Order: sequence, then structure tokens, then C-alpha cells
Amino acid sequence: MNTDTRIAIPLFMGHVAAGFPNPADSYIEQVIDLNELVIRDKDLTYFVYVESDSMIEEHIVPGGWLIVDKGLIPENGDMIVAWVNGGFTVKRVQIVSESLLILHPANPNYAPIIVHEGEDYWLFGKVTFFFFEPPKYPIYGDWNR
Amino acid sequence: MIGIADCNNFYASCERVFNPALEGKPVVVLSNNDGCIVARSNESKALKIKMGEPIHHYKELVKSKGVHVLSSNYELYGDMSARIMRLLNRFVPVMEVYSIDEAFLDLTGFDDVVSRCHSLQRTLKAWTGIPISIGVGPNKTLAKVANRIAKQTPSMDGVLYLSELAQIQAALADFPCEDVWGIGYQFNQLLKRNNIKTALELTQVHDVWIQKHMTIDGLRLVDELRGNFRRDLDLSPSPKKSIGSAPSFGEAIPDLPTIQEALATHVARCAEKLRRQYSAANLITVFLHTNRFNPKVPQYFQTRTVSLPHASSATSELIQYADSVLQSIYQDGYHFKKVGVLLSGFVPDDFHQMALYTEQPDPRMKQLSNVMDQLNGKYGRDKVRLAIQGFKQNWKPKRQLLTKRYTTRIEDVIRAT
Repeated sequence: MNTDTRIAIPLFMGHVAAGFPNPADSYIEQVIDLNELVIRDKDLTYFVYVESDSMIEEHIVPGGWLIVDKGLIPENGDMIVAWVNGGFTVKRVQIVSESLLILHPANPNYAPIIVHEGEDYWLFGKVTFFFFEPPKYPIYGDWNR
Repeated sequence: MIGIADCNNFYASCERVFNPALEGKPVVVLSNNDGCIVARSNESKALKIKMGEPIHHYKELVKSKGVHVLSSNYELYGDMSARIMRLLNRFVPVMEVYSIDEAFLDLTGFDDVVSRCHSLQRTLKAWTGIPISIGVGPNKTLAKVANRIAKQTPSMDGVLYLSELAQIQAALADFPCEDVWGIGYQFNQLLKRNNIKTALELTQVHDVWIQKHMTIDGLRLVDELRGNFRRDLDLSPSPKKSIGSAPSFGEAIPDLPTIQEALATHVARCAEKLRRQYSAANLITVFLHTNRFNPKVPQYFQTRTVSLPHASSATSELIQYADSVLQSIYQDGYHFKKVGVLLSGFVPDDFHQMALYTEQPDPRMKQLSNVMDQLNGKYGRDKVRLAIQGFKQNWKPKRQLLTKRYTTRIEDVIRAT
């Protein structure tokens, strides 16, 4: 390569202000980390996107997000994500016996799903958190939308 | 005492965690370019679908048996592998990650090994959805033997501990040489010619013969089959001796500029890896070939290795050499399927052989490459690149049957109703 044809490339145009030392610098501990609040164990955590309003009375809105922990064993009444009837679903689980589960929606328009032993059912994990953008309009009450 | 934890049908198992509809169904996963089969579920193995075969050989079977054919989703497999390895590490502090789906475990001092392994297996299954098998023995080679037997014997529930000498010998008496870890095609042919069929027979061969025909590595291997400890866990992987990259083209590409672009990008990737292990390469090999699975088109295969005037790890320099090698082997009129590069002859990157009359490396080239690495590390792969790498990149491998990257992309996570 002919060195004469090389040109220098300016990486940053403009100048960098040196600035004053920030008197608060020594007080900064750390930044609040949302992951720390909602994730118990990152190697066991998965995100799930909510597509239906079957749990709307529990404030789980379509377009919301669930944090699912595969390391926790769900107990009676816990909210879970499971595969049943050919798709993933979020429901409250009622453990009736070792061979019978009932998955309860939180919306009167949906029926509970009854799962007998031997049926196609796979637990994905226990829901430990959920979050969503606030809806544009209040869920209850119509403010002249 | 060494164990090996091995994920069962790893790629297919990963897919099933996020799509349980694949449970109990035959699943195959294809190589980089949707060409050959690189992974099979047990159901596919039962249909006699072979590893490494092009998928189009099984067109009929795929249709009639409803085989689920998937592109390899390396983002998903890589993330699940990393999770599994970190989780295993919580229970076994000393371990060697041997491949994407296998890890050697140092179980020295663990008691009640079989039940400990069963509980490890159950925990991993619950935590990740991935089934694993664990083989345990006095060394790596016998752990591998145990693991293979455990997988083939359903009554063992995926765990076997070979401890007593008599038990080891009984296992080896039924164990074909070709299934021993480290015995490749060539050694197996040699053993066949000498009528050595089982691993037990191999342990009875004289050391002198083994070392003569199978080198010192072969002797270590046989010694481990006898129950001695010869191969340590590799806890800090040594730098690689060669680095290569050669994914196939999405479609057969005939024209030189597109091939140049692809090659330059492969070289850039290899050079990054080279710098990460602080090596510099003395040799560069470029190969170019047509689709050998399509007998209807004219075939061409060419490879050439050149020795560089000085060891280098600078992307721009390596691309320059690779490109001139490519131009020397390129022939018009073929539909090329693959171009690849292999860097070898490594020396530490601060090593400079002084030679008369040869050009010395320009230190600024290496600095430039380091700056490129930093920028690309910060802003994303290939954000800063050499012009020859191109921008369209229409030679990228096709992955038409790709499932979602459920764990690494927010828009791809599973959806629940």
C-alpha cells in the first residue's frame, strides 16, 4: 500500500468541553435498574406478549408483557403461562388434584379450561410480573371517546 | 471422577420448548443454508433420516410422515446453551463447556453420584425444558462411553455411572470402537483391518502398536478406556490454531463482485476472531466451489493457500490478500455455492519475524482494525466496514424455515391468549 495516498479521517468534528467536576459525583451510588426489581433470576426468566383480553379483570391487557419465571413451581391459585389446546395461554391455575387442573380466565366472556392428566398440556412458567402501557381511555367508564 | 452432561437432540429440544406442538413429532433442523440436516429428533432418527444428508433427498418422506423441517435458529440455540451452562455451573463449580450442548463436569468428591445426577437432570428439565443425559466415569473417555450407553438404554433414565473395573469392562465388551470418542473414520478402518471390533479388544492391544499406529493421542485414549486418567478438563480454552468461515450463498451466485463481497465479509469476521485471541496469521487459504449436491450443473472446486510476507491480523491487509487469491482461482461460467477462507499459521500478534527485503507490517493497519472492532462492538456488527464488503449482501445464507428468536428479540417472544 502506498502511504502517500492515505488520508487522516477526522473521527469527531467539533470540540469536547472539559467541564467542571460535578460536586454530586461522589454521592452517585448506582442507577435504579428495573431488571433487578422484576427479574428474580435472569437464567430462568422469559418474556411473554399478551394477545387477548381473557385476563382483563386482572388488568392483563392485550399488548401487555408478562415476566415468566421457569424456576418457580406454581401453587394453587398462581398465575401461569402454559401450552394447552395448541397455543400458549395465561390463566390462574387451580390444582384440583394430581390429575386435574382448571385454568381460570378473568373475563366472563371466557370459559375455564379443564385439563385432565394425559392431555396435551405443558407448563411454561409462573408469571411473576406484568407491565403495559396505560390504555388511551379508562377501561371502566366512557369519557366521551 | 468426570461426568459429561449432554443435551438430548439439543436443537429440536430448543424448538419444542417454545412450540410444544412439535412434541412427539419428527423434527429436523437444517444447516446454515437450509441445505443439509444437522439435527434430528428421535422420531426423525426412527424414520432413518441421516445426519448430513441434503434435505431434498427426503422430499417424499417429509411429505408422507409430516416431518417438521426448520432452519437453524442459532440465536435461540446459543442463548439456551448459555443459560444451561450457567445453570449447570451453579451445581458443579468446575466444568468445561465442550460444545454448544455438552459440558464435562468435575464430580470429584461428589457422593451418591447417580441420584445427584438424576436430580440435576430433573432440575435442568424443569428450569429450561431441555432434557439432558449424564454419563460418569473415571475419565472423559469413559464418561462419554457411559453417556452413550445411557442414551441408548431407556431403563437408565439418562444416567449411567461406570465405576468398578468389572462394570467398565462389561460395558466396553459391547461397545464398538467406532463409537469411542476420538476414534475417527481413519482409525476405525485401521482397527477393522486388524480385526479389533470392540472397545474392550482395543484396551488389550499392546501399547507399542497403538503408539506406532495411532500416535500418543491414541495411546492416551486407550489408556483412558483402561480406566486411567489422561485428559484433564480444559478450563481455559487455548487459542485456536486456525480460524475459518464459509457459509453457503443463499442462491447460486455466478458473478465475481458478489463473491468478492462475501469473501471480504468472511475475512473481516475471521480477522476479528483472530484479534480477539491476540494472534496474527501467516497463511491464508481461499476456496471456492459449486453446489456438489446438484449434479446437473457443471462442477468446479478450487482452493489455494498463500503464505503472507509477514504475519498479520489487520482486516484490510487480509482482505487484500484473500481477494487476490480469489481472483487467481475464479473461473467464469459456474454457479458458485460457497466461498470460504481459512486463516492459519498463527503467531502471537506481537511477534515479528525480522526478514531481509520483506515488507514489514504497518502498525497503523492494526490500529485501524482495533478501532473498527471497538466501533463495531459498540454500534453493531459491520457498521464500520471496508467498501469491498459491500452493502447489499444478497449472498447472505437463506433461512426460510426459521422459527422466532424467542429469547433474544422482544418482537419474537412467545404470545399468550
